[in-house]
Amino acid sequence: MANEVTNTMPPSTRLRRTDASEVTVDIRTPDLEINFGPQHPATHGVMRVLMRTDGELVTGAQPHLGYLHRCAEKIGENVEWLQYLPYTDRYDYLASMNNNLGYSLAVEALLGVEIPRRATLIRIICAELNRIGSHLVAFGTYGLDIGAFTPFLYCFREREWMMSLFEKICGARLTYSYIRIGGVFNDAPPGWFEEVARFCDVFEQKWPEYVDLLLVNQIYVKRTANVGVISREMALDFGLSGTMVRGSGIDWDLRRDMPYMCYGEIWRDGAFTIPVAKGEMGALGDCWDRSWVRVMEMMESIKIVRWCLDHMVDGAVIGELPKTLKVPAGEAYVGIENPRGELGHYVVSDGGKVSVRTRVRGPSFCNLAVLEDILPGSLVGDAVAIIGSTDIVVGETDR
Amino acid sequence: MDFQGILDRLTAIRAPGLVGSDEPRKADPKDKKDKGRAGDPFAIVDAQLLSEFVRACRDDDRLHFEQLVDLTATDPSKDAAELWINVQLLSLKFRHRLAIKALLPKAAASLPSLVPVYRASQWHERECAEMFGIRFVGHPDPRNILLPDDWVGSPLRKDYEFPKEYHGISCE
Repeated sequence: MANEVTNTMPPSTRLRRTDASEVTVDIRTPDLEINFGPQHPATHGVMRVLMRTDGELVTGAQPHLGYLHRCAEKIGENVEWLQYLPYTDRYDYLASMNNNLGYSLAVEALLGVEIPRRATLIRIICAELNRIGSHLVAFGTYGLDIGAFTPFLYCFREREWMMSLFEKICGARLTYSYIRIGGVFNDAPPGWFEEVARFCDVFEQKWPEYVDLLLVNQIYVKRTANVGVISREMALDFGLSGTMVRGSGIDWDLRRDMPYMCYGEIWRDGAFTIPVAKGEMGALGDCWDRSWVRVMEMMESIKIVRWCLDHMVDGAVIGELPKTLKVPAGEAYVGIENPRGELGHYVVSDGGKVSVRTRVRGPSFCNLAVLEDILPGSLVGDAVAIIGSTDIVVGETDR
Repeated sequence: MDFQGILDRLTAIRAPGLVGSDEPRKADPKDKKDKGRAGDPFAIVDAQLLSEFVRACRDDDRLHFEQLVDLTATDPSKDAAELWINVQLLSLKFRHRLAIKALLPKAAASLPSLVPVYRASQWHERECAEMFGIRFVGHPDPRNILLPDDWVGSPLRKDYEFPKEYHGISCE
């Protein structure tokens, strides 16, 4: 059962993708089952997609997960509230700040504590810088997947600076545990905000390079436009979120539509916009649209960071909380806009030191499910482009 | 719409399976044992009618819950007789959420699948099934998703016992 593709397309529905310039030759070969992964570089981690192919045509595909399952939810029921924080770093390791934030907000929803203003602004700066870093990896490695090596190096150049900024503020480069329940761990070191401002200025100059080098590159457009189209209805039905829904033309962003922290204030100030794909290069909801949304979002994050720098206040960065937290009995679900979509934490407390349930709704997990529907009917070569465009982090799908 | 508005609407359209609701409250100062409840309000629904209930939530034009954000289960304690099924619905159009809780007896942990209503629940249900030993009747692809196919037990149940070894690999 496990090694069988169950969603194979019946032969009568097998049509090859055609443009006006492409000629399809209708030759049937016996169906072949191939393993894409678990160690394929384009799967971005240890994931396996079992594909059934008819020549170059993918006729059925099913992702197999769980190779990176580390029992995060079970651990959550066995360690104290604050002790769980480092585990949140490890599900979406490209956006650890955002994971820390999501978990902290969920626990704070039960605690009902006030977060100092300065801590909130530092949190937003870190979350948005991390979003830029995450999108840089998503965009850079996506180019790498489909054969463009150079933009990847450009993307990592800026990401390196972003990581050194985080190293200065919390000492870690990847797994931060910096945003704590009640605020942030420590105040920014002297000169940090000035360096962030410099980073924003430099990034703004470098950003057009990504667009020129890769995004509007004809080879890239040919490779991604009209490939892996996710319709509006499909995006809603599969519960997609974040860049995946905006890539399908749905104007939805939790930062604006269900604001948390002071994103509502930033939005009302008109400091940022929400890029929504319009299907400029091909059908709406194709791979190109999704990568366009990511590239555009980086600049919006820069604007949010600048707003926070301009409105920075002095004061404490963490509220007064006991070392061993006792969280009031109750349950709360908090969803935040991670770089990959809605990261939800559902936490249940019985009033004790340890949670009853820590549920993680990882956006990658939900976004990946759509592959079962969009891979069949595509070409084997496009499968790499489609999987890359969903921008999954396997640490999060498996948790 | 706020929670009360959603609840009123659910009552007005006679959403199938709606049993009640639970809202956060402050502790009663007279009763020392009462600690109150923190967090979000949620609707309580009959598990066997959950699929009909979410269908009504999706199709009603004033609720308009287009997305199932999350479906999971909770085992509140070792002695509890019932598991909770927790569902989070989201309306993009009206920007509101609804948390749903359905109680499911541990002795007969089975309920109709939500996949005909929301495709999003397909993988969530697979995860729920393997982690809690819940059977989703009518699920199109009821395989394990994160655990190996031959895994014994339901790891997220509170009475789960950790295995001593797995295929000759010691787990102690």
